[in-house]
This record gives sequence, C-alpha cells and structure tokens, in this order.
Amino acid sequence: MRIRAALTATVLAATAALAGCAGDSSPLPVTPDRPQADAVTPAPAPDGTKPAPPACNPRASLRPTGSLPEPGDMPAGSYMATIQERGRLVLGTSQDTLLFSSRNPFTGEIEGFDVDMGRQIAEAIFGDPDKIQIKVIGYDKRVSSAVDGSVDIVADTMTANCERWVDVNFSSIYYEAGQKVLVSKSSKAKSIADLGGKKICSAAGSTSFDNIGKEKSKPIAVARPAFGDCLVAFQRNEVDGISTDDTILAGMAAQDPYAKVIGDKFTQEPYAIAMNKEHPEFARFVNAVLERNRANGTWKKTYEKWLGDFGQAPPPPKAQYR
Amino acid sequence: MSTALATRPGVLRRVGGLRHHSPGRLQLLIALLVGLGLLSGLLAGVAGSAARAGTDDLGDRAQPLLIEAETIYSALADADTTAAQAFLAGGLEPSALTRRYDDDLARATTALTSAARRTPEDGRAATAVRTLSAGVAEYSALVATARANNRQGLPIGASYLSEASRLNRDTLQPQARELFEGAQREVEDGYGAAGAVGWMSLLVLSLGGLLVALALTQRYLSRRTRRTFNLPLLAATAVTLVLTIGTISILLTQQTRLDRAANQGSGPVASIAESRLLALQARGDEALTLAARSGSGPYEKDFDAVAEQLTRRGGPMVNEYDSLDPALGRTMDRAAEGFRQYVSAHSDVRALDDSGDYEGAVELAVGKQTTDTFEGVRQELDRALENRKEFFTQEINAAGDGLGLLTVGGPLLALAVCAFAFIGLRTRLEEYR
Repeated sequence: MRIRAALTATVLAATAALAGCAGDSSPLPVTPDRPQADAVTPAPAPDGTKPAPPACNPRASLRPTGSLPEPGDMPAGSYMATIQERGRLVLGTSQDTLLFSSRNPFTGEIEGFDVDMGRQIAEAIFGDPDKIQIKVIGYDKRVSSAVDGSVDIVADTMTANCERWVDVNFSSIYYEAGQKVLVSKSSKAKSIADLGGKKICSAAGSTSFDNIGKEKSKPIAVARPAFGDCLVAFQRNEVDGISTDDTILAGMAAQDPYAKVIGDKFTQEPYAIAMNKEHPEFARFVNAVLERNRANGTWKKTYEKWLGDFGQAPPPPKAQYR
Repeated sequence: MSTALATRPGVLRRVGGLRHHSPGRLQLLIALLVGLGLLSGLLAGVAGSAARAGTDDLGDRAQPLLIEAETIYSALADADTTAAQAFLAGGLEPSALTRRYDDDLARATTALTSAARRTPEDGRAATAVRTLSAGVAEYSALVATARANNRQGLPIGASYLSEASRLNRDTLQPQARELFEGAQREVEDGYGAAGAVGWMSLLVLSLGGLLVALALTQRYLSRRTRRTFNLPLLAATAVTLVLTIGTISILLTQQTRLDRAANQGSGPVASIAESRLLALQARGDEALTLAARSGSGPYEKDFDAVAEQLTRRGGPMVNEYDSLDPALGRTMDRAAEGFRQYVSAHSDVRALDDSGDYEGAVELAVGKQTTDTFEGVRQELDRALENRKEFFTQEINAAGDGLGLLTVGGPLLALAVCAFAFIGLRTRLEEYR
C-alpha cells in the first residue's frame, strides 16, 4: 500500500531533480494527494521539452564474463562482494502489481514474477533466495532509486529504453510486454483508438502514461501514484479506462470481473532489471544469472508459477549484448 | 415628579425653579433617589442575566464543543492508524483492531452530531462540520471496500485503504483541526461574555451613585429639620448597602471562578488534548512508514518532530501540571514516561526496518508490548483530560452560582430602596402642606 505516496513523491522530488534522471518522467503537474482534484492532466506532447536520448538498442546489455562465481564467494572488490558483506540484496519494486509484485493479503509478503527475479539474484549471491530486502518505491522513483544507491536492483515491470539507459544499466530482457487498455465490460470500444476524449489512467512516472498522450485518438491521460490507485479510480467511475502493460492489466482484470482488456499491444515494453551505472560488473553478473536461468528452465517455471493462467510459457526473451 | 419632566415647553425652567424652595428640593430628591434605584434594579437584572447566559454558553456549548472537536480529530487519527496497523498485521484483520476502528468511527460520528448542534449555521465551523459529515461517510465506505477486497485476497484492497487514508489525513483531519481551533477561540471569547464586565461595572457605578445620593439626602434633612434620623431613608441605605456588597461579592466569586476555570481548566484541557493528538499522530506515522514499506521517509521526519514536541520541557505534555493538582501531575508524569518508552521502542522498530528486517519491525511495532506501552500513554492522557474536565465543570457551575440571585433579587431590593426613599421624603414633604 502506498499510503500518501504523493507526499513522498513531493518531498523526494528534490532528490530526483538533483539526480537529473532522464528516465523518470519529469515531475508531473498533478497533486495525487488530492484525489478529487488531480483528475485531468494532458500527457506531455511528443515534441516535449526533454532532449531526445542518444539512439541505442535498449535490449542490448553488457555481456557476462566467464562463469558465475560460487554463491557466498563473490570476487573481492566487486559490487556483489559489497552486497554479500551487507548480508542482503535490496530490491526496489512496487506492492500493488498483481502477478509481478504485489502484497499477498493473507501473508503480508510481497510476491510475484519481479520479486522472484530478485530472489534468483539473491540466491546466486548468497545461496539463499530469502536474503532479500524489499523496498517499495514509486514508479517515478525507479530510475532515481537505482542511481542514488538506495536499492541494488529495480525489478518493477520496468521498460528498458534509451532514455533510461542514460542513467542506469539494464540487464538483458527478462519479459516482453506491450501496452494495452482495460475498460468496463459494457464498453463498446475495440481498442485505444476508440477512446478519444475518455479519461485513461496510468501510474505517474511510467512509460505507459507518456504513451497515452502520444495516441492519435487523444484520450485524456490521468495520473495516479500507482496502478492500484488507477484500479480504485476505475471502480469508482473516476476514469473510463486504464492503460499500461498487458501483464499489469491482466492482474487487474483478475481482480475485477466487470473489466476487460481490449485491442492489440500498441507498444513494445521489454522488461529489464535496472542497476547503478557505476557497477558494470554487477550488470554482467546479473546477466549471467538470467542466462543460466533461461537455459536451465528456471525462467519457464517462474512464468508458469505466476502467469501460467494465460497459457503456455513462451520461449524466454533472447538475450542481446553489446 | 419625574413624569412631569417630559413634554411641555418651559418644563426645564419650572424644574429649575423647584430648587429655590424647600418642597421643590424635596421633590427633586425623590425623583433622583427613585430614578437611581430603578436604574440600579434594571442594571442588576440585565447584568445578572447577561453573565448567566455567558457562563451557561461557555459551560454548555463552547467547552463541550472543544471536547467534541478533539474527539472527532483524535477518533479520525486513531481510525487511520488502526486501519494501517490491521493492514500491517497481514491476513484477516485482528478482531481487536476491527473493534477499535468501529469504536473510533462511532465516537467520531456521535461527536460530530452534537458538534453540529452546538455550531451556528454559517461560518467556518459549520463548513467544517458539513465537510466532515460527508467525508466520514465516504471514508468508511472506502475502508469497507478495502476490507471486502482484502477478505477475497485481492491486492486492490490495499489501494482502497491508501485512498481512504489520503482522504482521512489530507481532508478530514485538517477540517477537524479547524473545528478544534475554532472551538478554542470560542472558549476564549466565551470568558469575556461570561464576565459581562460592561454591565457589571455600570451596575456598580449606579449603586455607588445611589449610596452617595442617599447619604447626601440624609445630611441635608438632618441639617434642615430637628430630626437627626429619618428611619425609612436609613432602611433604604441599609438595603442599598446589602445590594452593593452582595453584587460585589457575587462579582468577585464569579471572576475568580472564571479565572480558575480558564487557567486551570480550559487551558490544560487544550494542552492535554493537543498531547493526545500528537501522540496519536506519532503512532500513525510509524504505521504508515511501515505500510509504505519504503524505509524511513517523510512520516519518519514527522514522527521526530512530534516526539520532540512531546518530550520537550514546557511543551504540551511535560509541563507544570503538578502545580494545578498533584494527582494530575503524577498522571502526566506517567504519560510522559510512557511516551519516552514508546519512542525508544520506536527507535528499535526503525533500526530493525532499516537493517532489512521488515517482519521483525512490524512485529515489534504492532506487537503486544509496544501496543501496551502506547495504550498506557493514551489512558493516562484520557485520565488527565477527565481530571481537568471535571475541574472545569465544577468551577463553571460555581461561577454561575449567585447570578440567578442577582438577576431576581437585585431588582426586588432596588424596588425596596425606591419605596423606602419615597416614603421617607414623602413624610417631610407632607409637613409643607
């Protein structure tokens, strides 16, 4: 639960501004702490003021070197050794994205596909997947948290793109998602093209939010602190739909029998783990872990555990390196 | 006599002419004494009833409104904290917390209903009451939805809870504070109205004038006639003296009682209420920091600020309460000591969370020991509040004593003075017929 994440957002905005992160959407002119008043914010225009990031292949990460070190025996001087010494890996994620990282109301634990990604890294470092500390961060803090070192890795349905590559290192891609839109069962819309002038919600600081503004049909983008807040707004008829990655929408539709996901993917959202740019050896290490888990079936098992209801596990995304 | 002063032209000249011969002078004196007597009676009635109305308003409306505003505020803050704690506990909400949340809402709505009765229909207080009534309904609906979702294992329940918490903290609590501060101002103004200082001083002046006039009249008569004493006039003087002394003593008692009620009742009530609100705020900050699960954030800063205020010497909690009442001093000492213990438990909670042991931090924060420590603080503060409320009620009732007597007895005695004065001078006047 991100109680008053808004306040957090405001207070921490200064920190984020300091870091000057291109990847976090620029501070949104919304006040999510006043749920009634924040309603409508036009998404930034495609020709916004942000300078275009250098062209890149966002899927291409740093190539792993050699074989994985034994758990509990990280090479001296590496960032993995620092983590090992600390005794736990700090994972930054959210707690309201069902299936990827959400709080299990029965146990109070945060769990999901993203969390398991983090646990697999922890296992590779310590030999124990439980040596992990979960820190919940706002969507608009995903880049800055990796940059300021408050978390070791961010696995939070985070799209690798060139803009964010400026500030952080991404791992190789661990999941291929794409943006869709969720509407009420009674809606006649077939895709986002039919939703011109309707209020569509997304999390502040997510790429999905920016994408809504880029749509030709001109829906009205509405920002909320987190996707869970979007579903609340949808159920209270404050917005007409929610648009973000198909995976997140699937988790929402699973909670609301009066909602449906429509249309095809209209964007490509390759998910990767974000890390601090100063530790390339850590990115190589993480990629080696992902590489191994693709090969030995761990990835498939994780997919089936969380996303099995949506059908057969596809082949894992192929790693690309620079 | 006095009626003759009214209409026809030349009246002033004729009245002026009266003072040139003895019967005329006597007639003038009758008019003067009876006039002053009637004026004093009138003023006694007005001053008595004004002070009575002011005191009643203070005791029956302004002060209860202050208590109710505090109840609304603290119940809302506590409901927010309780909901967050129930969420932290995971699984099905502990029934003790559910019960407490229900109690909180019941207290808030009950207090809101009576606060609405005590608030004038327009003005900021009324707006606050309206916003609160509508908002509390929305708040409880959001929490109910959160619970229903939680029971089905849907994570969206958590989002409903955070929406509810935003509404509570950002909209409802500020309105409750507004109501609380407005009530504080009303209590302060209420003391002025209860004193009815304007009417009271006019009454004392008029009684003083009557005494002087009676004294001068008797001196004049004893010089002009061979009789040293005029019995009816003596009686009038005695009655006036009784009335004056009675008025002054009622006035003094009332002022003393009001002062005591203000300085030892209302003042401490406001400080203790403030302490309770701040303590609840700190407890809420702790739960919300843990619920946000993002390490020490802005709530933790707020906690530090609040804890500093509560542990500061001369602040709302650590103060010279023992000079008011030794029992109260002991109660407040226990509250302050309990709060220090709670702050140290809170430091342990933060240390655990910051070192990565989230589960341990939650367990310590909502566990029995910390909860008991905090509840202890709350109970001591409740007790202290009751102590001062009782004191206030007692003083305000005592301040009202005698005002009824003044309102009814004052005019009657004044009429008696008029009658005696008239009889006394009338006898002398007859001698000239």
